[in-house]
Amino acid sequence: MKANPVEPIIGRYTTVSILGEDCRIYFEEAGQGIPLLCLHTAGADTRQFRHLMGDEDVTEKFRVITFDMPWHGKSYPPVGWEKREYQLTTELYVAMIRSFSAAIGLDRPVAMGCSIGGRIILQLAHAHGREFRALIGLESADFQQPWYDTAWLHRSDVHGGEVCAALISGLIAPQSPDAHRHETLWQYMQSGPGIFRGDLYFYRVDCDLRGKLGGIDTSVCPLYLLTGEYDFSCRPEDTLRTAKTIPGVKVKIMKEVGHFPMSENPAQFKKYIMPVLNEIWKREK
Amino acid sequence: MSGTSKVSREQLERKLCARFEQAVPKRVNGDPHFVWRGRNLSADCLLQIGTVSYLLRFEQGSIKECRKGLPLMCPWDFAIRGSARGWDALWQDPPKPGWHDLFALTKRGEMTLEGNLHPLVANLQYFKDILALPRKGGAR
Repeated sequence: MKANPVEPIIGRYTTVSILGEDCRIYFEEAGQGIPLLCLHTAGADTRQFRHLMGDEDVTEKFRVITFDMPWHGKSYPPVGWEKREYQLTTELYVAMIRSFSAAIGLDRPVAMGCSIGGRIILQLAHAHGREFRALIGLESADFQQPWYDTAWLHRSDVHGGEVCAALISGLIAPQSPDAHRHETLWQYMQSGPGIFRGDLYFYRVDCDLRGKLGGIDTSVCPLYLLTGEYDFSCRPEDTLRTAKTIPGVKVKIMKEVGHFPMSENPAQFKKYIMPVLNEIWKREK
Repeated sequence: MSGTSKVSREQLERKLCARFEQAVPKRVNGDPHFVWRGRNLSADCLLQIGTVSYLLRFEQGSIKECRKGLPLMCPWDFAIRGSARGWDALWQDPPKPGWHDLFALTKRGEMTLEGNLHPLVANLQYFKDILALPRKGGAR
């Protein structure tokens, strides 16, 4: 056993008003320095960033913060959830991020989001760039072609957790270590009923950003897009196509990584994210 | 199709079929944990590798029959049909990006899923793992 088995990650709760509804939000943080707000993927939770939060090379320069979206992880749904279907919209997602950031007093954080988090990063760059020091989209594109019917994600005759995990298992690169692969899948197995599907309403229906990303000023808020070569949901060509429409954006395609870089292969992801974080840190210094 | 390309396609299919038959059903039925994972599954699956069809009869997680070629008017519950190129790519170790999963192949038009998909979707990881067995290194 290691000499110090206690990890530096601290978890707490705060209640935030989001579009007029009180939401009790669970969040975790580690480190000191530039605030780095991390946004998890659809149907998942803060645990995806545990490796980043446990990495001293990151936390000696950045205060890494991540929160479970309402309905996810240890954040409850709002009161009355049992009487409605969960559907994430662009408006709700943006309000959630800005309200949480304000509630815990973050001063122009860097925001980094993956998958749906990567999509909303583009919307933040478009509409709220001045509120962020930099934005990082992982597996991020203005649009991607659907590849299965989301109705299968929430049925009484199919186990939601198992089907969610089985569907996304193919988005993990074959080279990713088994322990991290199965930890990533376990997160999907634990999502509430219909929540992954509700998140994908945002992804597939409400937030098609093709042709809508004008006005992004990367001199005010630098924008980075990093996509794994094994991601066939948000394919490298989807990210590259998106990048062509944004002057000044910096793009990198990550080798031997899929749709969940920070959780499926933390060591490989570190090779790509550290240069980005160091560049942001030097710029801020 | 030219004579040469027909011959090479047939050679590829033969190679893929041999690889499939070597792994399935032996490595499923011989693994108690595999059988346990499929314990709620009883269904007939048509699996197509290029132009070659197999009928796989699943019963409570075991493969009771793996038959090359279908009897006349033989019913099945669902079908997984892939091009020889698609299966060949899927079974590389490691497979190339975009060719490494059943749904990566359906998205690029190299595979189709047909029929009553409920037994497939309800046991999706089980099937993905079975169909990765012919890959050198096996299922992930």
